Amino acid sequence: MKISKKLYSYYLIWPALLIYSIFFVLPALTGLFYSFTDWRLDREAIKFIGFDNFERIFTDRTLLLAIKNTAIFAVVTVLGKNLLGIALAVGLNMKLKSKNILRAIFYSPSILSVLVISIVFTPMLRSDGTINRIFDAVGLHSLNQAWLTNPSIVILTVAAVSIWQHTGFQMAIYLAGLQSISKEYYEAATIDGAGSWRSFRSITIPLLLPAININLMLTLIGGLKVFSEVFVLTGGGPGNASQVVGTIILRSFGEGSWGLGTAVNTLLFAAVTIIAIPLLIFMRRKEVSE
Amino acid sequence: MNFSRKMAWRNYLVEGFLILASLLIILPLLIMIFGSFMTSTEVLKFSLRLPDKWIFSNYSKVFSEGGLGRAFLNGMLITGVSSILNIFTSSAASFILVRRDTKLSNFMYMFFFMGLIAPMSTITTIRVVQWMDFYGSITSVILIYASLNTAFSVFLYSGFIRSIPKALDEVAFLEGANTFDVFFKIVTPLIVPVNATVAIMVFMSVWNDITIPLYFLTDSSKWTMPLSVYNFYGKYSRDWNLIFADLVLTSLPVLILYLFCQKYIVSGLTAGAVKG
Repeated sequence: MKISKKLYSYYLIWPALLIYSIFFVLPALTGLFYSFTDWRLDREAIKFIGFDNFERIFTDRTLLLAIKNTAIFAVVTVLGKNLLGIALAVGLNMKLKSKNILRAIFYSPSILSVLVISIVFTPMLRSDGTINRIFDAVGLHSLNQAWLTNPSIVILTVAAVSIWQHTGFQMAIYLAGLQSISKEYYEAATIDGAGSWRSFRSITIPLLLPAININLMLTLIGGLKVFSEVFVLTGGGPGNASQVVGTIILRSFGEGSWGLGTAVNTLLFAAVTIIAIPLLIFMRRKEVSE
Repeated sequence: MNFSRKMAWRNYLVEGFLILASLLIILPLLIMIFGSFMTSTEVLKFSLRLPDKWIFSNYSKVFSEGGLGRAFLNGMLITGVSSILNIFTSSAASFILVRRDTKLSNFMYMFFFMGLIAPMSTITTIRVVQWMDFYGSITSVILIYASLNTAFSVFLYSGFIRSIPKALDEVAFLEGANTFDVFFKIVTPLIVPVNATVAIMVFMSVWNDITIPLYFLTDSSKWTMPLSVYNFYGKYSRDWNLIFADLVLTSLPVLILYLFCQKYIVSGLTAGAVKG
Protein backbone atom coordinates (compact mmCIF):
# COMPACT_ATOMS: atom_id res chain seq x y z
CA MET A 1 0.00 0.00 0.00
CA LYS A 2 1.49 3.32 -1.05
CA ILE A 3 0.60 6.47 0.86
CA SER A 4 -0.01 9.66 -1.07
CA LYS A 5 2.68 12.26 -0.45
CA LYS A 6 -0.04 14.84 -0.09
CA LEU A 7 -0.92 13.42 3.30
CA TYR A 8 2.33 14.91 4.58
CA SER A 9 1.16 18.49 4.75
CA TYR A 10 3.65 21.23 4.00
CA TYR A 11 2.17 23.30 6.82
CA LEU A 12 4.54 21.69 9.28
CA ILE A 13 7.53 23.14 7.43
CA TRP A 14 6.28 26.71 7.56
CA PRO A 15 7.33 27.78 11.08
CA ALA A 16 10.93 26.64 10.63
CA LEU A 17 11.04 27.99 7.09
CA LEU A 18 9.75 31.41 8.14
CA ILE A 19 12.10 31.90 11.10
CA TYR A 20 15.06 30.62 9.12
CA SER A 21 14.26 32.68 6.02
CA ILE A 22 13.62 35.96 7.81
CA PHE A 23 16.51 35.90 10.26
CA PHE A 24 19.12 34.03 8.28
CA VAL A 25 18.48 33.93 4.54
CA LEU A 26 17.03 37.41 4.09
CA PRO A 27 20.01 39.09 5.82
CA ALA A 28 22.37 36.99 3.71
CA LEU A 29 20.68 38.11 0.49
CA THR A 30 20.47 41.78 1.48
CA GLY A 31 24.12 41.49 2.52
CA LEU A 32 24.98 40.44 -1.00
CA PHE A 33 23.22 43.57 -2.25
CA TYR A 34 24.79 45.96 0.28
CA SER A 35 28.32 44.66 -0.33
CA PHE A 36 28.28 46.52 -3.64
CA THR A 37 27.27 49.82 -2.02
CA ASP A 38 28.92 52.57 -0.01
CA TRP A 39 26.46 51.99 2.86
CA ARG A 40 27.62 53.99 5.89
CA LEU A 41 26.21 54.87 9.28
CA ASP A 42 26.55 58.62 8.67
CA ARG A 43 25.04 58.71 5.18
CA GLU A 44 21.40 58.63 4.21
CA ALA A 45 21.73 57.83 0.52
CA ILE A 46 23.22 54.56 -0.59
CA LYS A 47 25.16 54.45 -3.83
CA PHE A 48 26.22 51.50 -5.95
CA ILE A 49 29.99 51.36 -6.19
CA GLY A 50 30.48 48.05 -8.00
CA PHE A 51 33.48 46.09 -6.80
CA ASP A 52 35.14 48.97 -4.93
CA ASN A 53 34.66 47.33 -1.53
CA PHE A 54 36.25 44.13 -2.74
CA GLU A 55 39.10 46.01 -4.35
CA ARG A 56 39.72 47.74 -1.06
CA ILE A 57 39.73 44.44 0.81
CA PHE A 58 42.45 43.12 -1.48
CA THR A 59 44.61 46.22 -1.24
CA ASP A 60 44.26 47.03 2.45
CA ARG A 61 47.11 45.42 4.39
CA THR A 62 45.11 44.88 7.58
CA LEU A 63 42.22 43.29 5.75
CA LEU A 64 44.58 41.03 3.82
CA LEU A 65 46.29 40.04 7.04
CA ALA A 66 42.90 39.21 8.54
CA ILE A 67 42.11 36.92 5.62
CA LYS A 68 45.52 35.27 5.90
CA ASN A 69 45.09 34.79 9.65
CA THR A 70 41.65 33.28 9.18
CA ALA A 71 43.08 30.81 6.66
CA ILE A 72 45.97 29.91 8.98
CA PHE A 73 43.61 29.46 11.92
CA ALA A 74 41.29 27.25 9.86
CA VAL A 75 44.04 25.00 8.47
CA VAL A 76 45.86 24.61 11.79
CA THR A 77 42.72 23.87 13.80
CA VAL A 78 41.34 21.44 11.19
CA LEU A 79 44.58 19.46 11.29
CA GLY A 80 45.00 19.66 15.05
CA LYS A 81 41.43 18.85 16.04
CA ASN A 82 41.10 15.96 13.61
CA LEU A 83 44.48 14.28 13.96
CA LEU A 84 44.38 14.51 17.75
CA GLY A 85 40.67 13.67 17.75
CA ILE A 86 41.23 10.42 15.81
CA ALA A 87 44.21 9.52 17.98
CA LEU A 88 42.25 10.06 21.19
CA ALA A 89 39.22 8.19 19.86
CA VAL A 90 41.29 5.18 18.78
CA GLY A 91 43.01 5.10 22.17
CA LEU A 92 39.79 5.48 24.12
CA ASN A 93 38.08 2.81 22.03
CA MET A 94 40.51 0.22 23.42
CA LYS A 95 39.74 -1.81 26.53
CA LEU A 96 41.13 0.59 29.13
CA LYS A 97 40.08 0.64 32.78
CA SER A 98 39.80 4.42 32.93
CA LYS A 99 38.26 4.96 29.50
CA ASN A 100 34.94 6.40 30.72
CA ILE A 101 36.47 8.99 33.00
CA LEU A 102 39.12 9.87 30.39
CA ARG A 103 36.45 10.37 27.71
CA ALA A 104 34.57 12.70 30.04
CA ILE A 105 37.73 14.68 30.84
CA PHE A 106 38.72 15.18 27.20
CA TYR A 107 35.18 16.15 26.27
CA SER A 108 34.63 18.54 29.16
CA PRO A 109 36.27 21.77 27.86
CA SER A 110 34.11 21.74 24.73
CA ILE A 111 30.91 22.18 26.73
CA LEU A 112 32.22 25.42 28.24
CA SER A 113 32.00 28.85 26.66
CA VAL A 114 34.89 29.94 24.45
CA LEU A 115 34.85 33.05 26.65
CA VAL A 116 35.57 31.00 29.79
CA ILE A 117 38.45 29.07 28.23
CA SER A 118 39.95 32.18 26.64
CA ILE A 119 39.93 34.09 29.92
CA VAL A 120 41.42 31.14 31.81
CA PHE A 121 44.28 30.93 29.31
CA THR A 122 45.03 34.66 29.27
CA PRO A 123 47.19 34.77 32.44
CA MET A 124 48.78 31.41 31.66
CA LEU A 125 49.99 32.60 28.26
CA ARG A 126 51.73 35.73 29.54
CA SER A 127 55.53 35.97 29.41
CA ASP A 128 55.66 35.28 33.17
CA GLY A 129 52.69 32.95 32.96
CA THR A 130 52.13 29.35 33.96
CA ILE A 131 53.15 27.83 30.62
CA ASN A 132 56.53 29.53 30.46
CA ARG A 133 57.15 28.72 34.12
CA ILE A 134 56.48 25.05 33.42
CA PHE A 135 58.97 25.13 30.53
CA ASP A 136 61.51 26.72 32.89
CA ALA A 137 60.87 24.10 35.55
CA VAL A 138 61.58 21.22 33.17
CA GLY A 139 64.62 22.92 31.65
CA LEU A 140 63.07 23.88 28.33
CA HIS A 141 63.71 27.56 28.80
CA SER A 142 64.30 27.97 25.06
CA LEU A 143 60.63 27.23 24.37
CA ASN A 144 59.54 30.31 26.30
CA GLN A 145 57.48 32.71 24.23
CA ALA A 146 55.48 35.87 24.54
CA TRP A 147 52.53 33.79 23.38
CA LEU A 148 49.97 36.55 23.00
CA THR A 149 52.19 39.53 22.23
CA ASN A 150 54.59 38.13 19.64
CA PRO A 151 52.96 39.13 16.33
CA SER A 152 54.45 36.26 14.38
CA ILE A 153 52.99 33.49 16.54
CA VAL A 154 49.91 35.02 18.13
CA ILE A 155 47.41 33.50 15.68
CA LEU A 156 48.96 30.07 16.26
CA THR A 157 48.55 30.55 20.01
CA VAL A 158 44.87 31.32 19.53
CA ALA A 159 44.56 28.23 17.30
CA ALA A 160 46.24 26.11 19.96
CA VAL A 161 43.77 27.25 22.60
CA SER A 162 40.91 26.36 20.26
CA ILE A 163 42.42 22.93 19.59
CA TRP A 164 42.85 22.41 23.35
CA GLN A 165 39.20 23.22 23.94
CA HIS A 166 37.42 21.48 21.08
CA THR A 167 39.39 18.34 20.20
CA GLY A 168 37.21 16.44 22.68
CA PHE A 169 34.12 17.20 20.62
CA GLN A 170 35.75 15.81 17.49
CA MET A 171 36.89 12.81 19.55
CA ALA A 172 33.27 12.12 20.56
CA ILE A 173 32.13 12.00 16.92
CA TYR A 174 35.08 9.76 15.97
CA LEU A 175 34.29 7.46 18.90
CA ALA A 176 30.70 7.19 17.71
CA GLY A 177 32.03 6.33 14.25
CA LEU A 178 34.47 3.74 15.59
CA GLN A 179 31.77 2.03 17.60
CA SER A 180 29.67 1.51 14.50
CA ILE A 181 32.48 -0.55 12.89
CA SER A 182 31.91 -4.26 13.34
CA LYS A 183 34.63 -6.13 15.28
CA GLU A 184 34.50 -8.95 12.73
CA TYR A 185 36.48 -6.92 10.23
CA TYR A 186 39.38 -6.67 12.65
CA GLU A 187 39.18 -10.33 13.57
CA ALA A 188 39.29 -11.30 9.91
CA ALA A 189 42.22 -8.98 9.32
CA THR A 190 44.13 -10.42 12.29
CA ILE A 191 43.60 -13.95 10.99
CA ASP A 192 44.93 -12.82 7.61
CA GLY A 193 48.02 -11.57 9.43
CA ALA A 194 47.47 -7.84 9.26
CA GLY A 195 49.24 -5.77 11.91
CA SER A 196 47.54 -2.96 13.79
CA TRP A 197 48.81 -0.21 11.49
CA ARG A 198 47.61 -2.15 8.45
CA SER A 199 44.18 -2.68 10.09
CA PHE A 200 43.98 0.99 10.94
CA ARG A 201 44.75 2.05 7.39
CA SER A 202 42.65 -0.53 5.54
CA ILE A 203 39.67 -0.90 7.88
CA THR A 204 39.42 1.96 10.36
CA ILE A 205 40.07 4.89 8.04
CA PRO A 206 37.75 3.82 5.17
CA LEU A 207 34.90 2.90 7.51
CA LEU A 208 35.40 6.06 9.51
CA LEU A 209 34.97 8.23 6.40
CA PRO A 210 31.47 9.50 7.28
CA ALA A 211 32.76 10.71 10.65
CA ILE A 212 35.90 12.14 9.06
CA ASN A 213 33.81 14.06 6.54
CA ILE A 214 31.44 15.56 9.06
CA ASN A 215 34.34 16.48 11.33
CA LEU A 216 36.36 18.04 8.52
CA MET A 217 33.37 20.10 7.55
CA LEU A 218 32.49 21.21 11.07
CA THR A 219 36.06 22.16 11.96
CA LEU A 220 36.72 23.89 8.65
CA ILE A 221 33.54 25.94 8.73
CA GLY A 222 33.99 26.70 12.42
CA GLY A 223 37.58 27.72 11.76
CA LEU A 224 36.66 30.16 9.01
CA LYS A 225 33.97 31.68 11.23
CA VAL A 226 36.35 32.17 14.18
CA PHE A 227 35.56 35.21 16.29
CA SER A 228 35.17 34.79 20.05
CA GLU A 229 38.61 33.27 20.71
CA VAL A 230 40.37 36.18 19.03
CA PHE A 231 38.01 38.76 20.49
CA VAL A 232 38.66 37.64 24.08
CA LEU A 233 42.30 36.51 23.92
CA THR A 234 43.83 39.35 21.90
CA GLY A 235 41.13 41.67 20.59
CA GLY A 236 42.90 41.37 17.24
CA GLY A 237 46.21 42.59 18.61
CA PRO A 238 49.02 43.22 19.19
CA GLY A 239 48.48 45.96 16.63
CA ASN A 240 46.47 44.09 14.05
CA ALA A 241 48.58 40.95 14.17
CA SER A 242 45.73 38.58 15.06
CA GLN A 243 42.81 40.19 13.23
CA VAL A 244 40.52 37.66 11.57
CA VAL A 245 37.52 38.12 9.31
CA GLY A 246 35.15 37.92 12.28
CA THR A 247 36.87 40.74 14.21
CA ILE A 248 37.15 42.87 11.07
CA ILE A 249 33.37 42.65 10.64
CA LEU A 250 32.85 43.80 14.24
CA ARG A 251 35.30 46.65 13.66
CA SER A 252 33.62 47.86 10.47
CA PHE A 253 30.27 47.64 12.24
CA GLY A 254 31.64 49.81 15.05
CA GLU A 255 33.14 52.31 12.61
CA GLY A 256 29.84 52.51 10.73
CA SER A 257 31.34 51.34 7.44
CA TRP A 258 28.57 48.83 6.90
CA GLY A 259 28.99 48.35 3.16
CA LEU A 260 32.60 47.29 3.62
CA GLY A 261 31.64 45.05 6.56
CA THR A 262 29.01 43.21 4.56
CA ALA A 263 31.47 42.87 1.67
CA VAL A 264 33.93 41.14 4.02
CA ASN A 265 31.06 38.90 5.13
CA THR A 266 30.13 38.12 1.52
CA LEU A 267 33.72 37.14 0.83
CA LEU A 268 33.67 34.81 3.84
CA PHE A 269 30.39 33.33 2.60
CA ALA A 270 31.90 32.69 -0.83
CA ALA A 271 35.05 31.15 0.62
CA VAL A 272 33.18 28.82 2.98
CA THR A 273 30.76 27.73 0.26
CA ILE A 274 33.45 27.05 -2.33
CA ILE A 275 35.39 24.92 0.12
CA ALA A 276 32.43 23.13 1.70
CA ILE A 277 30.43 22.21 -1.42
CA PRO A 278 32.85 19.52 -2.69
CA LEU A 279 32.87 17.96 0.78
CA LEU A 280 29.08 18.04 0.81
CA ILE A 281 28.76 16.42 -2.61
CA PHE A 282 31.19 13.75 -1.51
CA MET A 283 29.08 13.07 1.57
CA ARG A 284 25.83 12.90 -0.37
CA ARG A 285 27.40 10.43 -2.79
CA LYS A 286 28.48 8.26 0.15
CA GLU A 287 24.92 8.27 1.44
CA VAL A 288 23.54 7.11 -1.89
CA SER A 289 26.04 4.30 -2.28
CA GLU A 290 25.37 2.93 1.20
CA MET B 1 49.16 -16.32 25.61
CA ASN B 2 52.13 -14.45 24.32
CA PHE B 3 49.87 -12.45 22.00
CA SER B 4 47.39 -11.42 24.71
CA ARG B 5 50.21 -10.42 27.05
CA LYS B 6 51.57 -8.20 24.30
CA MET B 7 48.09 -6.69 23.91
CA ALA B 8 47.79 -6.02 27.64
CA TRP B 9 51.20 -4.37 27.68
CA ARG B 10 50.18 -2.14 24.79
CA ASN B 11 46.95 -1.19 26.57
CA TYR B 12 48.84 -0.15 29.70
CA LEU B 13 51.15 1.99 27.61
CA VAL B 14 48.26 3.71 25.84
CA GLU B 15 46.39 4.19 29.10
CA GLY B 16 49.41 5.75 30.81
CA PHE B 17 49.93 8.10 27.92
CA LEU B 18 46.26 9.14 27.83
CA ILE B 19 46.22 9.77 31.58
CA LEU B 20 49.23 12.07 31.19
CA ALA B 21 47.52 13.86 28.32
CA SER B 22 44.33 14.27 30.35
CA LEU B 23 46.33 16.20 32.95
CA LEU B 24 46.84 18.87 30.28
CA ILE B 25 43.08 19.27 30.18
CA ILE B 26 42.47 19.10 33.92
CA LEU B 27 45.20 21.48 35.11
CA PRO B 28 43.89 24.75 33.61
CA LEU B 29 40.38 23.93 34.80
CA LEU B 30 41.62 23.20 38.33
CA ILE B 31 43.64 26.42 38.37
CA MET B 32 40.38 28.21 37.63
CA ILE B 33 38.33 26.32 40.24
CA PHE B 34 40.89 26.51 43.06
CA GLY B 35 41.69 30.11 42.14
CA SER B 36 38.07 31.08 42.58
CA PHE B 37 38.39 30.33 46.32
CA MET B 38 41.66 32.24 46.87
CA THR B 39 42.51 35.76 47.98
CA SER B 40 43.32 38.23 45.22
CA THR B 41 47.06 38.09 45.95
CA GLU B 42 47.26 34.33 46.32
CA VAL B 43 45.58 33.71 42.98
CA LEU B 44 48.15 35.79 41.06
CA LYS B 45 50.65 32.93 41.01
CA PHE B 46 48.36 31.08 38.58
CA SER B 47 49.85 27.78 39.58
CA LEU B 48 48.13 24.61 40.64
CA ARG B 49 47.70 24.58 44.40
CA LEU B 50 44.92 24.36 46.90
CA PRO B 51 43.85 27.65 48.47
CA ASP B 52 45.47 28.39 51.86
CA LYS B 53 42.04 29.26 53.11
CA TRP B 54 38.85 28.58 51.18
CA ILE B 55 37.12 31.91 50.62
CA PHE B 56 33.54 31.19 49.67
CA SER B 57 32.56 34.84 49.88
CA ASN B 58 34.18 35.41 46.45
CA TYR B 59 31.08 33.85 44.98
CA SER B 60 28.54 35.97 46.81
CA LYS B 61 30.59 39.06 46.01
CA VAL B 62 30.68 38.25 42.31
CA PHE B 63 27.00 37.49 42.30
CA SER B 64 26.02 40.85 43.74
CA GLU B 65 28.63 43.07 42.08
CA GLY B 66 28.52 41.39 38.69
CA GLY B 67 24.72 41.66 38.50
CA LEU B 68 24.70 37.97 37.77
CA GLY B 69 21.19 37.24 39.07
CA ARG B 70 19.64 39.31 36.33
CA ALA B 71 22.02 37.93 33.71
CA PHE B 72 21.21 34.38 34.82
CA LEU B 73 17.48 34.93 34.37
CA ASN B 74 17.99 36.61 30.98
CA GLY B 75 20.17 33.71 29.88
CA MET B 76 17.63 31.14 31.06
CA LEU B 77 14.80 32.93 29.28
CA ILE B 78 16.69 33.36 26.01
CA THR B 79 18.21 29.89 26.04
CA GLY B 80 15.05 28.11 27.19
CA VAL B 81 12.64 29.71 24.76
CA SER B 82 14.92 29.53 21.74
CA SER B 83 15.66 25.84 22.44
CA ILE B 84 11.99 24.93 22.72
CA LEU B 85 11.07 26.97 19.64
CA ASN B 86 13.89 25.34 17.72
CA ILE B 87 12.86 21.81 18.77
CA PHE B 88 9.26 22.29 17.65
CA THR B 89 9.93 23.98 14.33
CA SER B 90 12.91 21.87 13.28
CA SER B 91 11.42 18.48 14.13
CA ALA B 92 8.14 19.28 12.38
CA ALA B 93 9.94 20.53 9.28
CA SER B 94 12.33 17.55 9.21
CA PHE B 95 9.43 15.10 9.42
CA ILE B 96 7.86 16.47 6.24
CA LEU B 97 11.19 16.95 4.46
CA VAL B 98 12.16 13.32 5.02
CA ARG B 99 8.76 11.80 4.30
CA ARG B 100 7.91 13.68 1.11
CA ASP B 101 10.76 12.43 -0.98
CA THR B 102 10.22 14.92 -3.83
CA LYS B 103 12.49 17.30 -5.75
CA LEU B 104 11.06 20.23 -3.81
CA SER B 105 11.65 18.65 -0.41
CA ASN B 106 15.19 17.66 -1.40
CA PHE B 107 15.80 21.21 -2.50
CA MET B 108 14.44 22.53 0.80
CA TYR B 109 16.66 20.14 2.73
CA MET B 110 19.66 21.65 0.93
CA PHE B 111 18.25 25.12 1.55
CA PHE B 112 18.26 24.43 5.29
CA PHE B 113 21.59 22.66 5.07
CA MET B 114 23.22 25.79 3.63
CA GLY B 115 22.66 27.35 7.03
CA LEU B 116 25.17 24.90 8.46
CA ILE B 117 27.77 26.25 6.06
CA ALA B 118 27.07 29.91 5.48
CA PRO B 119 28.26 32.41 8.04
CA MET B 120 25.65 34.69 9.53
CA SER B 121 25.46 38.15 7.99
CA THR B 122 25.45 40.12 11.23
CA ILE B 123 25.21 43.69 10.03
CA THR B 124 22.25 43.09 7.72
CA THR B 125 20.54 40.94 10.36
CA ILE B 126 20.59 44.01 12.57
CA ARG B 127 19.05 45.90 9.68
CA VAL B 128 16.25 43.35 9.28
CA VAL B 129 15.53 43.42 13.01
CA GLN B 130 15.46 47.22 12.88
CA TRP B 131 12.95 47.12 10.03
CA MET B 132 10.75 44.87 12.14
CA ASP B 133 11.21 47.39 14.91
CA PHE B 134 12.44 45.20 17.74
CA TYR B 135 16.21 45.72 17.66
CA GLY B 136 17.71 45.38 21.13
CA SER B 137 14.90 43.21 22.46
CA ILE B 138 15.17 39.76 23.99
CA THR B 139 12.55 38.54 21.50
CA SER B 140 14.82 39.40 18.56
CA VAL B 141 17.69 37.47 20.11
CA ILE B 142 15.47 34.43 20.76
CA LEU B 143 14.31 34.37 17.13
CA ILE B 144 17.85 34.82 15.82
CA TYR B 145 19.13 31.91 17.91
CA ALA B 146 16.21 29.75 16.77
CA SER B 147 17.02 30.53 13.14
CA LEU B 148 20.78 30.06 13.55
CA ASN B 149 20.26 26.58 15.02
CA THR B 150 17.66 25.46 12.49
CA ALA B 151 20.22 24.00 10.08
CA PHE B 152 22.00 21.79 12.60
CA SER B 153 18.73 20.64 14.18
CA VAL B 154 17.12 19.78 10.85
CA PHE B 155 20.28 17.86 9.99
CA LEU B 156 20.09 15.82 13.23
CA TYR B 157 16.33 15.24 13.09
CA SER B 158 16.38 14.19 9.42
CA GLY B 159 19.07 11.61 10.08
CA PHE B 160 17.00 10.12 12.87
CA ILE B 161 13.54 10.30 11.31
CA ARG B 162 14.86 8.52 8.22
CA SER B 163 15.41 5.48 10.43
CA ILE B 164 11.77 5.39 11.63
CA PRO B 165 9.78 3.00 9.40
CA LYS B 166 7.24 4.72 7.21
CA ALA B 167 4.83 1.83 7.81
CA LEU B 168 3.96 3.36 11.17
CA ASP B 169 2.59 6.50 9.51
CA GLU B 170 0.80 4.46 6.86
CA VAL B 171 -1.18 2.53 9.43
CA ALA B 172 -2.21 5.75 11.15
CA PHE B 173 -3.21 7.38 7.87
CA LEU B 174 -5.36 4.38 7.03
CA GLU B 175 -7.09 4.81 10.37
CA GLY B 176 -7.99 8.31 9.24
CA ALA B 177 -5.36 10.37 11.05
CA ASN B 178 -4.07 13.60 9.49
CA THR B 179 -0.49 14.91 9.33
CA PHE B 180 -0.71 16.66 12.67
CA ASP B 181 -1.99 13.55 14.46
CA VAL B 182 0.74 11.43 12.93
CA PHE B 183 3.42 13.93 13.82
CA PHE B 184 2.35 14.62 17.38
CA LYS B 185 1.05 11.18 18.38
CA ILE B 186 3.40 8.86 16.52
CA VAL B 187 6.60 10.64 15.53
CA THR B 188 7.02 12.96 18.51
CA PRO B 189 7.18 10.16 21.11
CA LEU B 190 9.71 8.31 18.96
CA ILE B 191 12.08 11.26 18.59
CA VAL B 192 12.32 12.06 22.31
CA PRO B 193 16.02 11.04 22.40
CA VAL B 194 16.84 13.43 19.54
CA ASN B 195 14.78 16.14 21.20
CA ALA B 196 17.05 15.72 24.19
CA THR B 197 20.16 15.91 22.02
CA VAL B 198 18.97 18.99 20.18
CA ALA B 199 17.85 20.62 23.43
CA ILE B 200 21.29 20.09 24.97
CA MET B 201 23.21 21.17 21.88
CA VAL B 202 21.13 24.31 21.39
CA PHE B 203 21.15 25.10 25.10
CA MET B 204 24.93 24.83 25.26
CA SER B 205 25.62 26.84 22.14
CA VAL B 206 23.17 29.59 23.07
CA TRP B 207 24.12 29.75 26.74
CA ASN B 208 27.83 29.96 25.92
CA ASP B 209 27.57 32.47 23.07
CA ILE B 210 28.77 36.06 23.34
CA THR B 211 28.50 37.15 19.70
CA ILE B 212 24.75 37.71 19.41
CA PRO B 213 24.32 39.62 22.72
CA LEU B 214 27.36 41.70 21.77
CA TYR B 215 25.72 42.84 18.54
CA PHE B 216 22.04 42.69 19.43
CA LEU B 217 21.59 43.50 23.12
CA THR B 218 22.50 47.14 23.41
CA ASP B 219 21.07 47.47 26.92
CA SER B 220 23.20 45.79 29.61
CA SER B 221 20.15 44.91 31.72
CA LYS B 222 19.27 42.36 29.03
CA TRP B 223 22.71 40.72 28.88
CA THR B 224 23.24 37.01 29.33
CA MET B 225 25.80 35.57 31.75
CA PRO B 226 28.86 35.24 29.51
CA LEU B 227 28.58 38.81 28.28
CA SER B 228 28.20 40.07 31.86
CA VAL B 229 31.26 38.02 32.73
CA TYR B 230 33.16 39.62 29.86
CA ASN B 231 32.19 43.04 31.11
CA PHE B 232 33.19 42.09 34.66
CA TYR B 233 36.52 40.79 33.34
CA GLY B 234 37.21 44.20 31.84
CA LYS B 235 36.32 46.05 35.02
CA TYR B 236 37.92 43.83 37.67
CA SER B 237 41.03 42.91 35.71
CA ARG B 238 43.10 42.76 38.90
CA ASP B 239 40.91 40.48 40.97
CA TRP B 240 41.48 37.15 39.30
CA ASN B 241 39.86 35.28 42.18
CA LEU B 242 36.60 37.09 41.41
CA ILE B 243 37.02 36.60 37.67
CA PHE B 244 37.53 32.86 38.20
CA ALA B 245 34.47 32.68 40.46
CA ASP B 246 32.52 34.44 37.75
CA LEU B 247 33.71 31.95 35.14
CA VAL B 248 32.78 28.99 37.34
CA LEU B 249 29.31 30.42 37.92
CA THR B 250 28.63 30.94 34.23
CA SER B 251 29.82 27.39 33.51
CA LEU B 252 27.66 25.70 36.16
CA PRO B 253 24.37 25.50 34.21
CA VAL B 254 25.93 23.73 31.21
CA LEU B 255 28.01 21.54 33.49
CA ILE B 256 24.93 20.38 35.40
CA LEU B 257 23.04 19.84 32.16
CA TYR B 258 25.95 17.82 30.78
CA LEU B 259 26.23 15.60 33.88
CA PHE B 260 22.56 14.65 33.67
CA CYS B 261 22.30 14.26 29.91
CA GLN B 262 25.65 13.05 28.61
CA LYS B 263 24.25 9.80 27.22
CA TYR B 264 21.93 11.78 24.95
CA ILE B 265 24.79 13.81 23.54
CA VAL B 266 26.68 10.72 22.45
CA SER B 267 23.65 8.82 21.13
CA GLY B 268 22.39 11.87 19.29
CA LEU B 269 25.76 12.48 17.67
CA THR B 270 25.85 8.86 16.59
CA ALA B 271 22.38 8.92 15.08
CA GLY B 272 22.60 12.33 13.46
CA ALA B 273 26.17 12.94 12.51
CA VAL B 274 27.63 9.54 11.80
CA LYS B 275 24.73 7.59 10.36
CA GLY B 276 22.74 10.51 8.98
